[in-house]
Amino acid sequence: MAPLSSYFIFPEWLNMLTAFLIGTAFGFALEQAGFSSSRKLAGMFYGYDTTVLKVFFTAAIVALIGSQFLGYLGILNLNQVYVNEFYVASSIIGGVIMGAGFIMGGFCPGTGLSALSIGKIDAMVFVAGGFAGAFLFTETYPLIEKLATSGYRGPVKINESIGLSPGLFTLLLTVAAAGMFLVAEIAERKFARPEITSEL
Amino acid sequence: METGRKICLLLILLSLILALLPLTSNRSFTAKPHALLAGVLSNETSLSVDQVAEYIVKEDSTIQLIDLRMPEEFRKQTIPGAVNIPYTDLISKDPDIWLGNKDTKSIFYSDNDPEQSFALVYAKGLGYNNSFVMSGGAGEWVRTIMETRFTGERITARENALFETRRRAGEMYTTLNSLPDSLKAGFLESRKFSAKKLDGGCE
Repeated sequence: MAPLSSYFIFPEWLNMLTAFLIGTAFGFALEQAGFSSSRKLAGMFYGYDTTVLKVFFTAAIVALIGSQFLGYLGILNLNQVYVNEFYVASSIIGGVIMGAGFIMGGFCPGTGLSALSIGKIDAMVFVAGGFAGAFLFTETYPLIEKLATSGYRGPVKINESIGLSPGLFTLLLTVAAAGMFLVAEIAERKFARPEITSEL
Repeated sequence: METGRKICLLLILLSLILALLPLTSNRSFTAKPHALLAGVLSNETSLSVDQVAEYIVKEDSTIQLIDLRMPEEFRKQTIPGAVNIPYTDLISKDPDIWLGNKDTKSIFYSDNDPEQSFALVYAKGLGYNNSFVMSGGAGEWVRTIMETRFTGERITARENALFETRRRAGEMYTTLNSLPDSLKAGFLESRKFSAKKLDGGCE
């Protein structure tokens, strides 16, 4: 997402190499965890397999806690960490489109590429669809620009906008995540389906 | 206890520690990127050395000259009234200490490398809109203020005022920089100390 340092200018190839290595590790982890099966993502929607929720929420919490600790110890300067800008309308509309795409396709962009790498035909179609969507978006951007950029709120953080300290917000989110995992486990028992991955 | 539960418990414990730590909320870039870029690139954010010299000669208290170079370079060539905040310090510490006073114009300069522009983007991005750069940096100061002489035949009133300001600013610069090293270090240290004391407010 960003150069390695905002102070020293590293050569472009080093930035690219770092991105490549991290991306490879991420793809490897996704594939090893079984995310290249579209049943994982669909299971989240039907409630019989909530691995996606648990894995990605845990990853977010670990990153949140880790970055706060590194910031406190002075190793990471959180002031220089890029924060994505928040556009209200495009977040809502984009979120609905993405969600619909996830459940229909059975992949998210990352797991789609991961499944593509092991030769899944549905993943190839899914990734092609992603590219077609990106192309359409770019070509029609002048028509939807007003909508896409409406409701600009800047790169706000949730704790800033509700006036909580970062530490307290982290605690509340972690407790909420733990509560959600409990609910997810109950859902998994209630909507359990026979494991058929090995038969497929 | 299964592994998932253990991890959950560990994360809650760690976040509990975080909640008890005195973490300060980090400041976000609030400016819209293209508006920020347009603001930084406009001529309004850059002051000429002559404008800065005028502020210095008038001993204007509504400006704050910020030298972004390393302390050794700053000690060698100190522009009167400037404070030394190396660029790495500016971006790694809470900038509110230096830029918090909204009525004071902060004017950044360095050796005219990208640092002064980076500092301007950083300050403006964080909402310190009363931030400027001295175009040309420290090198331009020496070239314009110290080395330019009037060469024409007839001097206009405006040119006369300009060269008078340059002469007086130049004198102040020479006086400060010709102080013996120990005296100069003491002087700069005393400025730093008084700035710190003021920052403390009513504590």
